[in-house]
Amino acid sequence: MRGPARLFSPITDHVSLITVMSFAERMLKIDRRIIFLVIGLCTLLPLLYPVGLPIKISSEVRGVYDHIESLPEGATLVLSLDFDPASKPELYPQAIALLRHAFKKNLRVIALTLWVSGTGMAEQIVTQVAKELGKETGKDYTFLGWSPGGQAVIINMGQDLYSAFPSDYSGKPTKGLPVLEGVRNLKDITYLVSLGAGRPGVEEWYVFGKDKYKFEMGGGCTGVMAPGLYPLLRSGQINGLIGGLRGAAEYESLIDQKGKAVAGMDAQSATHVAIIVLVIICNLFYFSMRQQKSVGQG
Amino acid sequence: MIFLRRQLPIIITLITGLLFAGQYYVPHPASEQMLTSATKWMQIIGGFALILGVTSLFHQHAVKIGRQEAGWGYSLVLYVAMLGTIAVGLWANGKESVDGAMTAFGWVYNFMMVPLQGTMFAILAFFIASAAYRSFRARSREAAVLLVAAVIVMMGRVPLGEYLIPLSGDLSSWILNVLNSSVRRAILIGVSLGAIALSFKIIFGVERSYLGGGKE
Repeated sequence: MRGPARLFSPITDHVSLITVMSFAERMLKIDRRIIFLVIGLCTLLPLLYPVGLPIKISSEVRGVYDHIESLPEGATLVLSLDFDPASKPELYPQAIALLRHAFKKNLRVIALTLWVSGTGMAEQIVTQVAKELGKETGKDYTFLGWSPGGQAVIINMGQDLYSAFPSDYSGKPTKGLPVLEGVRNLKDITYLVSLGAGRPGVEEWYVFGKDKYKFEMGGGCTGVMAPGLYPLLRSGQINGLIGGLRGAAEYESLIDQKGKAVAGMDAQSATHVAIIVLVIICNLFYFSMRQQKSVGQG
Repeated sequence: MIFLRRQLPIIITLITGLLFAGQYYVPHPASEQMLTSATKWMQIIGGFALILGVTSLFHQHAVKIGRQEAGWGYSLVLYVAMLGTIAVGLWANGKESVDGAMTAFGWVYNFMMVPLQGTMFAILAFFIASAAYRSFRARSREAAVLLVAAVIVMMGRVPLGEYLIPLSGDLSSWILNVLNSSVRRAILIGVSLGAIALSFKIIFGVERSYLGGGKE
């Protein structure tokens, strides 16, 4: 570059540097309400206009499904609904799908919760699905409700189920209920699934229940908890894991009864992609800003 | 008094700690019966702990209201909500519905607690997105690795991600099953060894902080 062009080029470079820097900086400090709006739209629009992308079934979810599928009619399934309304969007569809599967297989279902704030919701879930499939309380299923003590309840059930729950949620004595015939404690059950949103949950059922009383067990949890439960899964301590809304959608697809989870997957897809795009954009601006700074300093 | 405050709890901890650690390995009916009784006790104590927790919460907020400290209005809301819920809960005998009809307690549960808790959890998605945009930057090599792994797992866990990048599902599964599991297991082993060591310290009276720091 020669003459006037050379003379002025550093100035134009400097101007463009300021412009780029300020733009990148401005973008990095973008009003968070814009991000909220993007996430809101990504959640709302797919719910209003569902696309229905195919859902691939994972081996973790298939583990629970296959085990229930292999159980003979009349086998006992304990379903522990260890969550409260905060985790309803993820765990409610899991519970519904599991119960539909169990009732269709004519399994005897013993439901309970270790979370006091989830008692009402758990009772509604069990009653709703039982009613839908024409199941009778006391004969085909029972809801034991909640009992204080957390993991102590698990040990107590392992020792004597009737001592842990002398009556069911409606106040009927548990002794003599046809659904509990041949069941004295956790050693007599065929399969247990804990749908947990924290503690006590899947891990406590394994540590204080399965490890001592030797029954087969599967788990379900929120999406954020799932990575923490993979060690239990890989070592065979639990034979399947339904993780988050995705897991619930997979289970709904397996039982061929698509519900809230499948409907919510499009929204989750859009939100995940939106967050990824936001993260990539933020990094692009961050690097452009850093590069411009180093050029400016050089 | 020092005996009751210090020595006696340590003696009880030592005896019960050793007894129940040993109980796990003794399948004799007497040993099992002892565990059954102990867990019944634990359940009863658990019930009392709940009462203790509620009482403590009431006391803490009563002090706040009494002194009119900053935010005492929220404490008042808590008082009204708790007393109201307890009253309707007792009135409805703790049942959300009777013969298919919703009780007042059921109404509070279904139309207040469920949507409030759901909203609190749903708001997280917005804050996570905002926080990810502001702070999830590849500032170092380690942060870059974390960022790439997170993007792959996020893509692989949703149908749209698998549709756009078909390999992301298998990659995400590999990250969760191999990398995540092994690291989590290592952490678990470390934590468990720490818990065992701490248990021994408590059982043998080396660790006494659980006794509290009251005057001797």
